[in-house]
Amino acid sequence: MSKIEINNLTVDYTEKKNRFTALKNVSFSIEDGEFVSVIGSSGCGKSTLLSILEGINTPTAGEILINGEPIRGTGTDRGVVFQHYSLFPWMTARKNVAFGIKQVNKDASRTERLKIADEFLEKVGLEGFKNKYPSQLSGGMQQRVAIARALAMDTDILLMDEPFGAIDAKNRTILQELLLELWEGDGTGARKTVVFVTHDIDEAILLSDKIVMMTANPGQVYSEIKVPFDRPRNRAELVQTQEYNQFRNKLLAMFYSDIVSKIGGDEVVL
Amino acid sequence: MTFKKRYLRLVHLLFIVLLLIQLLPDKLSGDTYAQYVVWFAVGVEILTLIVSSFIKKPIGLTLFVDIVSFIYGLLIAWTLATAKFNLLKPALFPPPGRVFWQLIGDYEKIITNIFSSVGIILQGYLLAAAAAIILGLLLGSSERLGNVATYISKFLGAIPPIVYIPYGIALLPTFRSVSVFVIFLATFWPVLAGTMSGVMNVDKKTIDSAKVLNVGKITMLFSVILPASLEMIGAQSGLGYYIKNYSDLGDYTRTLVGLIVIGIVIVVISFVFNKIQKYLLRWKH
Repeated sequence: MSKIEINNLTVDYTEKKNRFTALKNVSFSIEDGEFVSVIGSSGCGKSTLLSILEGINTPTAGEILINGEPIRGTGTDRGVVFQHYSLFPWMTARKNVAFGIKQVNKDASRTERLKIADEFLEKVGLEGFKNKYPSQLSGGMQQRVAIARALAMDTDILLMDEPFGAIDAKNRTILQELLLELWEGDGTGARKTVVFVTHDIDEAILLSDKIVMMTANPGQVYSEIKVPFDRPRNRAELVQTQEYNQFRNKLLAMFYSDIVSKIGGDEVVL
Repeated sequence: MTFKKRYLRLVHLLFIVLLLIQLLPDKLSGDTYAQYVVWFAVGVEILTLIVSSFIKKPIGLTLFVDIVSFIYGLLIAWTLATAKFNLLKPALFPPPGRVFWQLIGDYEKIITNIFSSVGIILQGYLLAAAAAIILGLLLGSSERLGNVATYISKFLGAIPPIVYIPYGIALLPTFRSVSVFVIFLATFWPVLAGTMSGVMNVDKKTIDSAKVLNVGKITMLFSVILPASLEMIGAQSGLGYYIKNYSDLGDYTRTLVGLIVIGIVIVVISFVFNKIQKYLLRWKH
């Protein structure tokens, strides 16, 4: 049994009498401990798909099973990192993380929660900023706190919706490497199952075991591609190899052939 | 701050002018109690010098001396218009010395009044704020109830609280409870409207962030929606509004003494509320 099974998921929206299909018959599965990126141009329904996984949206048809059980609303088995910095502005970094822990671990005392929060803030390199409010932190730092919160909640599954989409290129690279490091761990412990939505091909290759490419209008799965690189991965070494470039070009070709066929071919200059 | 910035200010010149004009002959008949004005001014001046020596922020000092300058300016104009040139009807506009004399003569009564008024205000306000915030959170969570309740609270809030006084007197046992009741109503509707509009305008992203953390209903209401709408509750409703109302209601003696005392009480209360509000919203830049 797969950890997550997505079966014939269809989502229709009605907006001002216009009905449109965000997702149509989307099916794929994710194994336990697998890092899966969902990639596609905007409007391909990747964020809609994730919102159903999160449990804040419901499908028109089809279902998602986690450990064989259909999803009913949000759950303590899933931690979420959004693109928008989803911290509560009235809580300090530390309180934000501790608040997340409290929701999944009701038994932990306040002191224990704060201790775990400090531990995870240290892991994301923010030990000196734990008493700052989100408005006093940069976007990259806020996202570090959000990641620390999601990891500290210690859920089986981590859902990430373009978490680095609003972060400048340099910090994005740093955060990708941080996430990779934290997820891979020392290689001995069990890894979390991650569903990571992005539109950045390099990001998807670096992080994932499998890439699910989606196409728009309506949102459908175009292809599922295994990423053939060993872990632990090192970006600097990886990007210099020929295999990496070949693989990347293959993905790019798929990505753009889809776009070209959708908008009608020759006139499109890429 | 330099010595010049600290001590060489217009306010001290105004102080000297205020003292000098007391030396002009009175045109108004009867005792004008000029010595009370002098004592008051000397007291204020000493306070100003103390504040000038200890305050750290230049902006704070400027604000303080500007307020003192305004008080001196007002006293100069008031003294000249009444005691010295007798331009106004003395029955309506007594000279400042007489007001200070009365203030000192009545001080016990005034202090008792301040305490009982502040007690009434706090009791009425806190009861209303607690009730309105809880009700507002509950009603605002439902779009349908929130919408209808917003209109109703705006309608009822538009009724001047003084209108309720006869009902209060008829229904409640003591005048004190009537006062609390009127303050309660004056505060309740605007705080309710502010809370509901705050709750209904909380960013959907904030709600989603909380939902994916699996927060329970009560936590959502009090730990997420309440702080997220706190700014709206403070800004749109209560504090300023109720202070204004208090001055409507509190003007019972219709004397300048009463007005000055009430003015000071209002300034102090609004200062305290400002500090509380700043503390609660400290996470905003």
